[in-house]
Order: sequence, then C-alpha cells, then structure tokens
Amino acid sequence: MSVTNSDAHSDPALATDATVEVNALSVWFGPKVALSELTCSFGPGVSGLLGPNGAGKTTLMRAITGLVGVNEGTVRVTGRDPRRDRSVHAAMALVPEDEAVPGGLTARQLVRYMADLRRVTDRDAPDRALRTVDLLDVADRQVGTFSKGMRQRAKIAAALVSDPDVLVLDEPLNGADPVQRLHLIALFKQLGADGRTVIVSSHVLNEVERLAERVIVLVHGRLAAAGGQRAIRDAMDDTPRHVLVRCDNSRRLAGALVGLDSVTGVTFDSKRDELTVQTLQARELAIALPRLAKAASIRLLEVRPLDDSLESLFRELVR
Amino acid sequence: MSAVTQPVARPWRPRSRLVAIFVYTWQACFPRKRWAAVLMPCVGALLFGLLARAVDDLPDAAFANVAAEGIFGLVMPIAALVIGDSVLGAEIRAGSFHFTWLSPTPTWQIVLGRWVGGSTVALVTIAPSAALAAVVAGSPSSAGPAFVAAAVGSVAYVAVFIAIGCLTRRTAVWSLAFVFLVERLLGAALTGIAQLSPTWEARAIFVGLLDDPPNRLHRSGIPEGTDAVVRLLVVTAVVLVIANWRMRRLRLSGAAD
Repeated sequence: MSVTNSDAHSDPALATDATVEVNALSVWFGPKVALSELTCSFGPGVSGLLGPNGAGKTTLMRAITGLVGVNEGTVRVTGRDPRRDRSVHAAMALVPEDEAVPGGLTARQLVRYMADLRRVTDRDAPDRALRTVDLLDVADRQVGTFSKGMRQRAKIAAALVSDPDVLVLDEPLNGADPVQRLHLIALFKQLGADGRTVIVSSHVLNEVERLAERVIVLVHGRLAAAGGQRAIRDAMDDTPRHVLVRCDNSRRLAGALVGLDSVTGVTFDSKRDELTVQTLQARELAIALPRLAKAASIRLLEVRPLDDSLESLFRELVR
Repeated sequence: MSAVTQPVARPWRPRSRLVAIFVYTWQACFPRKRWAAVLMPCVGALLFGLLARAVDDLPDAAFANVAAEGIFGLVMPIAALVIGDSVLGAEIRAGSFHFTWLSPTPTWQIVLGRWVGGSTVALVTIAPSAALAAVVAGSPSSAGPAFVAAAVGSVAYVAVFIAIGCLTRRTAVWSLAFVFLVERLLGAALTGIAQLSPTWEARAIFVGLLDDPPNRLHRSGIPEGTDAVVRLLVVTAVVLVIANWRMRRLRLSGAAD
C-alpha cells in the first residue's frame, strides 16, 4: 500500500525544504533487488525509516551516504551526488548498524580521528561529542572492550563531532539500556529541532513513534507509506480499524452499532463484556457512537482504538 | 546528556588527513594478533639465515641462494600480504572502513596514507629481518643488499595488496593467488610478468647489489640493482593509481554482507 501520489506538493514521501532527495532509486545486489524505483526525500527534523528485515532500510541509508552505488535513479544530498562529490561528507555522517569499530582505538582516538578527517577546528569538539553520549569518563578505554551499547554511543560521538547537517542513523538505539535510550531519543529530537536532517531507522517501533515526526515505510524495497503517523492512518481508508468499546450494556449497543453505515462488523466478548467494532470510517464512528449511546441510554466506559500504534500500523502495511 | 551545543570554539589546527590516516593505520590496523602474523614470517627469515649456515658453500653464496628462494620468494610476500590485508582488506571485511571512507578526504590520500602506514610497518619488520638473516648466515656483506631489496619489494607488495583489497573482498585468497600463481608460476615462465613482479624484481635488486652473486641467480631480461629499484618504484606508483581509481568506486555494503 502506498499513500503517495503524483502531486509533488502534497506527496507525503517528499519533504519540504528537502536536503536529501531520492529519485526513482533502484539498487540490486546480483539477482536480489534491494530497492525498487523508490522516490522520497528528507528535510530538517527527525524522519523515521521503518520496514521489516530485508525491506531495504539499510541499503537506502547506505545509498544516501554513498556507501553503495545506485543502479538506477539518483540520490542527492544538499544537491550533491554522495558517490561522486566527496565534499558532501563534510556535512553528513552515518551511524551504521554494524557493530564493527576499530577495536584498537580508544573512544577519544576514534572521535579525534573523525575530527581530523573532517577538519574540525574546534579543539573541544571531540570531548564535547563524547560528553554528549556519556562516554567522556571512559574515553581512554579501547572501543574494542566496550559493550554493544557503548560501541553504539562511540559511533554516535564519532558522527556528531563534526556537527553534521545530515545525520543518518541505522538502528542507533541497538544495545542501549533504557536510560540511554531515553537520552539518545532526546538528543536526536534536539538535533532535529535544531534544523538538522536526522534519518533514523529502528525496529523498536514505539521508539520511532516517540522520536520521528515523519515516517517512511519500506516493504520489499518499495515505498509502502509515508507521512506523519496520523496521516498514514488517515490515508489507509481501505484498511479496517478496530475499536474497543466497553459500556454498561454491551449486547444492546452491539445491536445498535450493526445498523450504522460506518461499522463493518461487531464482535462481542461475553467474558470481558466488551465489544470490538470494525470500521472503515473511524471519524464517522467517533461521531456516531456517543450519539447512539446517548439515544439508547447506554453509558460508555471506554472507547479505545486497538490498532492505532505505529506497530499495528506497520503490521497492517506489511500484511 | 544533552544535545551538542556550540559554546565558544577554541581554535585548533587539526592534524593533516594524511598524518591522521597514517597514525590510524598504526593504531587501529595492527592489533596483537596481526603483529604476531607479521612477525612469524620474519622469524622464518632468520631461520632461513640459519639454514644458509648449514649449506656446504661459501657463506655469501649460500645466503644468496637461500635468500633468493626463501626470503624473497616466501617470507617477504607472506609478511607483506598480512600487512597489506591489515591496512585495508581486513577493515573492509570487518565493516569499519566506512569511518575513513565516509569523510571528505580525497581517496588518493586514503590510499597513500594506508600505503605509507603499511610500508613503514614493513620497513621495521620485513627489511630488518632480511638483513639480520644475512648476519645470522655469516654473510654480513649481504645485509645491506638484503635490506634494500626487502624494503623496496615489501613496499611494492603492500601497494599491490592494497589494490587487491580495493578490487575484491577476498583479499587474502586473491593475494595468495597473485603471489603463487601469477608470480611464481607465470613469472618463472614469462619474463614479461617477472619484470612487473615484486618477488622477481626484489630478487634482482638483491642480486644486482651483491659483490659476487651466484650466476644462477641472474635472469636475462630483468633489470638488476638500482635499475630494478626504479622499475619496482614505477610499478608501485602505477598500482597505487589503480588502487585510487578503484577506491572511488568501492561498494561498502557492510560486514554482514
């Protein structure tokens, strides 16, 4: 399912003020097609990249950063081709999913190396980047001895040291403990709020839900959906949604609901004394349900969408 | 933890990229196991020196014969292979090369920095062990030629193995194929290949610099002594240009792939 359309101005896959533009991108590895005619763009703020394993998220991130060449289509970062114009890397950084780090280096040496390659002229930048990810205390320990989460943060520090305009983060919260996750989420949101283009992929969907203002969903190398979480859901008008309703007279309400045009099905759970209402028109149901209950003198105790999380949305998209 | 803020920056001149890559190569590309893998063939060179003592011949001639086959034909390529693979191929396979590649550094600086880093490792390991082997063999007059030949040959090899690292993921396999199939087999039969081969040219440097080398070590059609040094340096430069050309087109799909 795609919620995109051909109108560039309203196409949710295309960001306004785009700094990263992906146009009709196809990438394949031998017989395996990793990305197929993908068109989307990313602008300032945090954008989430979602998809099941093998959807092409990592390949897209590698194509954006120029790590892999494209077979068809184009990728432009601030108007430049990352494969041909290496100057673009001064303004862009990648935190890859791979755990690989140069094990023989200390965290400070790694960050300093990145600062040297990017000609960072601020003496304090390496320490500041390490402090940002809470690694300053262990900066002189070899990254090879770090835990998975610490390695991840070392890579983030290495990416942040040059204060890049475009930050591409592939599963950046992998291995981080819950406290660090919260801190990193806050950090990425702040970076996005500061006007940087932050592209984040994650399989922990509720984190993306809290993190990203805009979501691009990939399935089998193609664009499945794009936009804000709500926008995606609103556009999914051919996908049934489920709403849980608890009230003081479930049987009677079920009978009344069946008569509504917006309702396609009602399931009554007698054990729990609750209804699951299936609808294609959630807004109409939201308006009609209270009126119906009032008219029938039924007291509504709880009305809750069952599939409004990003996770359930994702499940529906990839179904 | 807080977002990266920008307080008043203290001006500072960063290291040049070339120097940074050189330092990184020494710090990151040679963990202990790699050093052990480099030093083992160097110990082998000393054993070849001992072997030369056991040969029933004059020490100079005995060492020349043993060195031509054992040191320049086996020890030098193997040790240089480990070094050349360490400075690039191993990092690409491990998935950590993107730290260097995803920077605005021109690719020629990456290639040159890695080659200089690897070459200095070769210069402090392979070349001294070749010279020391001459001393062990009781032929101290051969130490100088052995050092020069091993030094020039190993830096050429490091360049070749870096180029192979840019061409293929299976650096070690292809490098071994290059040494034993292309150089040893084809190079022995075809002078045209031997003229471009670090093994054969290093051997020719060694032979050309000796005062009285055994006749069997001369090979017609291949420059010897300083001419061979020039030839090998030209080969090295050309190989580095090829490595740079390939470096721009690398596809780094990660350690998992």
